[in-house]
Amino acid sequence: MAARRSRARGQTKAQREFVSEAEELLERMQTNLVDLEDQGENDQEVDPELVNGLFRAAHSLKGLAGIFGHDSISSLAHHLEDVLDALRLGRTALGPELVAVLRESVVEFGALLQGLGDAAAEQAAEDKVRGLVVRIEAACRGSAPAEEGFDSLALDPALLRALTEYEEHRLRENLRRGRAILLVEATFEILSFDEGLADLGRAVREVGELLSTLPSPGEAPESQIRFALLVASDVDAHSLRGRLDFPHATVRRVSATEASGAEPASAAAEPDAAVGSPPAPPEGSAVVSKGPSAASAAQEPAPVAAEGAEIESLRSISETVRVDIRKLDELMNLVGELVIQRSAVDSIARRLIAEPGMARIGAELGKVYQGLDRKLRELQAGVLEVRMVPLRQVFEKLSRVARRLRRDLGKEVRLELNGADTELDKLIVEQLVDPLMHVVRNAFDHAIETPEERAAAGKGPEGCIRLDAYQRGNHVVIEVVDDGRGIDPEQVRVRARELGLISADQQITDREAYDLLFSPGFSTRTEVTSTSGRGVGMDVVKANLTTFGGIVDLDSTIGRGTTLTMTLPTTLAIIQALIVGAGDQSYAIPLTSVLETLVIEPEEIQRSDGRELLNLRGDALPLRRLAKEFQMEARPEDAAREFVVVLGLGGSRLGLVVDRLLGQQDAVIKPIQGPVTAVPGIAGATDLGDQHAVLVLDVTSFVEDVHRRREAA
Amino acid sequence: MSEPTSAAPTDSRWDDLARDASLRGDHREEIELLQELLIFEVDDTPYAVPIERVREILRMRPITPLPRVPDLVLGVISIRGEVVEVLDLRRRFGLSPAEPDRRTRVVVIHGFDGRVTGCMVDRVREVLRVGEEEIQPAAEADADTVLGLCKCGDEFVSMLDLDKVLEVGP
Repeated sequence: MAARRSRARGQTKAQREFVSEAEELLERMQTNLVDLEDQGENDQEVDPELVNGLFRAAHSLKGLAGIFGHDSISSLAHHLEDVLDALRLGRTALGPELVAVLRESVVEFGALLQGLGDAAAEQAAEDKVRGLVVRIEAACRGSAPAEEGFDSLALDPALLRALTEYEEHRLRENLRRGRAILLVEATFEILSFDEGLADLGRAVREVGELLSTLPSPGEAPESQIRFALLVASDVDAHSLRGRLDFPHATVRRVSATEASGAEPASAAAEPDAAVGSPPAPPEGSAVVSKGPSAASAAQEPAPVAAEGAEIESLRSISETVRVDIRKLDELMNLVGELVIQRSAVDSIARRLIAEPGMARIGAELGKVYQGLDRKLRELQAGVLEVRMVPLRQVFEKLSRVARRLRRDLGKEVRLELNGADTELDKLIVEQLVDPLMHVVRNAFDHAIETPEERAAAGKGPEGCIRLDAYQRGNHVVIEVVDDGRGIDPEQVRVRARELGLISADQQITDREAYDLLFSPGFSTRTEVTSTSGRGVGMDVVKANLTTFGGIVDLDSTIGRGTTLTMTLPTTLAIIQALIVGAGDQSYAIPLTSVLETLVIEPEEIQRSDGRELLNLRGDALPLRRLAKEFQMEARPEDAAREFVVVLGLGGSRLGLVVDRLLGQQDAVIKPIQGPVTAVPGIAGATDLGDQHAVLVLDVTSFVEDVHRRREAA
Repeated sequence: MSEPTSAAPTDSRWDDLARDASLRGDHREEIELLQELLIFEVDDTPYAVPIERVREILRMRPITPLPRVPDLVLGVISIRGEVVEVLDLRRRFGLSPAEPDRRTRVVVIHGFDGRVTGCMVDRVREVLRVGEEEIQPAAEADADTVLGLCKCGDEFVSMLDLDKVLEVGP
């Protein structure tokens, strides 16, 4: 990269981040610009995506520089953005002077970044920027191609009106190049239309340019939605139709064919047919039902679509709908309330069945309940899915950080990222960025040895940090694995004694030692490095994760490396809860915190220092009795057995002894309203469908309470 | 529950408007001197609260006890999926608790931050319209939960200072 700068000038972390981000944008601009020049030299048609890419990069750079108060950069980027916008909308043409100005501007950006903090350099740069701005403005005034109307198109005027300026420009440009303009219409199930639409878009892009995706004015049956895709292509309607693996899609040509001249305008007014019965082909257009032989052609993977998810997502706003996450929350609340209503139907059906003479009606209601239940599950899954985003973005951020760390630390480290497609609730992904960033920095900084140390240990010079993300049941697991020096549990014990976390004679297992790493203020290395931050340790990582029900665990082998495992719920809105009974009450425990449930005999419980313990596969599991914690009379259903719910939070474990295990249920956690603001041990309450509030236990407070007491002891 | 916005009117919006108005004291506008009061009884004694602070009145339903809270917090109830604490006004006024019967009601009161609280009372009597001139401020000797006295026919009814009533010590 041209703008490599010396680190000697003592810049703040924020400034370094700015430079790194800006460098990346410049890199992107440079690549796009080189391609653009190539195409210009070979007299090819200029790829609109290149201009779009440049435009977006200039726009981002403007914003970024603005935030950090780098006025010269911001101003230059602003003018570039203007001229690129004019270029992409066809208001100005790409001439040699414009190319030259673009190239010089990118070079100037590099110089500006290098000169940051150097007053003389900044002064010199300002003059150059002014010169460039004048030339950009001149280029902007370049002649624009004359605009023509779209009268020749057999297209619903409503569709034409919905086109953005950019889309109009592309339509005009493609018409000018003599391409066929085709209208593809298809109907999708509302619940899965996004996938279908994406597939269709991909298939279409293989043979042409997707100009616009618009909701089609045609009528669609309930639960379905109809879209119209405006496509420019060198192939005709018939062969495009043959390539589409969509039984109900129709394709017709809306631009005049060269042979027959203008199509009859009446074709535009052709009424849309419902799904299942394709509309009668208008004169001169091609509506083809899909033949079986075409399937193989359409199922070929789309090579173009893989060229970068980012471009894909920015390409066309009309393909995706931006939704405020709060609106999704509202929807989720509604679904949650429906879930409650559904459970009410279930319980009425059960009561009816138990009632003499009502059993049959009860059973019928039960069947209705089952149907309702199925549909509701689909609806719930649909709404949840909309909130889900892949981890890709976070991963991309991590690779950027890794690139910078490699440079700054002089360590050879390979960052492997697996499972970028794993999806999580948007809110969880947002809260995951900081902890993941911290963990990766930690691994770079502390775990991976210097090349010399690695050679001495008989390892290859290049260290490896691997992130594996995958779905496991209702959870997403992210493992951060490094092949570094590992963590010596003995060192942890020593440090823990120094810090007073454990007493001098206290013996703890390796696992407990690793758990201590998550205690506030703990750090095995005393010196502070800029990379891993100061005082911000694993305790913050743990705290971040536990706010949304995540669990973090660490395992390590000296000399071999460390594995950090984050287990996260996939969504926040509806939780799976284990329902338990204690005294005469029921309680809900978020299943994400339940490791297992045990049925044991009372004799298995041991006592130590007035506290109850259970030997769980060799580890001492502290026990708490829920009824006792809540000052209730225990009412065990069976004196010969004890039910233990093993709760896990980070590395901490706790066995909660309950009177009854009542099963699992979906629950929507609601806050408790009233004058008592916080009840220790209670996270909220839920209505399981019988207009009766069931308290949801706050597992964090239980587990941490036990650990505090153990530490105090 | 999400915050109701003016863009999307809901039933509760009117409640919120009323509650906000009552918290600000707007309902005591000069032109309209009439006040509507809900009269309920605790231990055969009538009490009055401004109707704007009342969201709804419910029959008794199962209360889920809350652990680790003062006795006067009976627990929580679910109102259409919303979870709301219920206070026992008998205990709040230092009286001995009584078994709920068919006349027992939970008066759901608007509190701070859009939150509501249920108050268990022995029975709800009526809604009264009274003029401001019929309300006299509390005397020194009155309990701190009493805002003033209101003359209803031939008896005096204590107007409750709801913010004080809803204050629950640790």
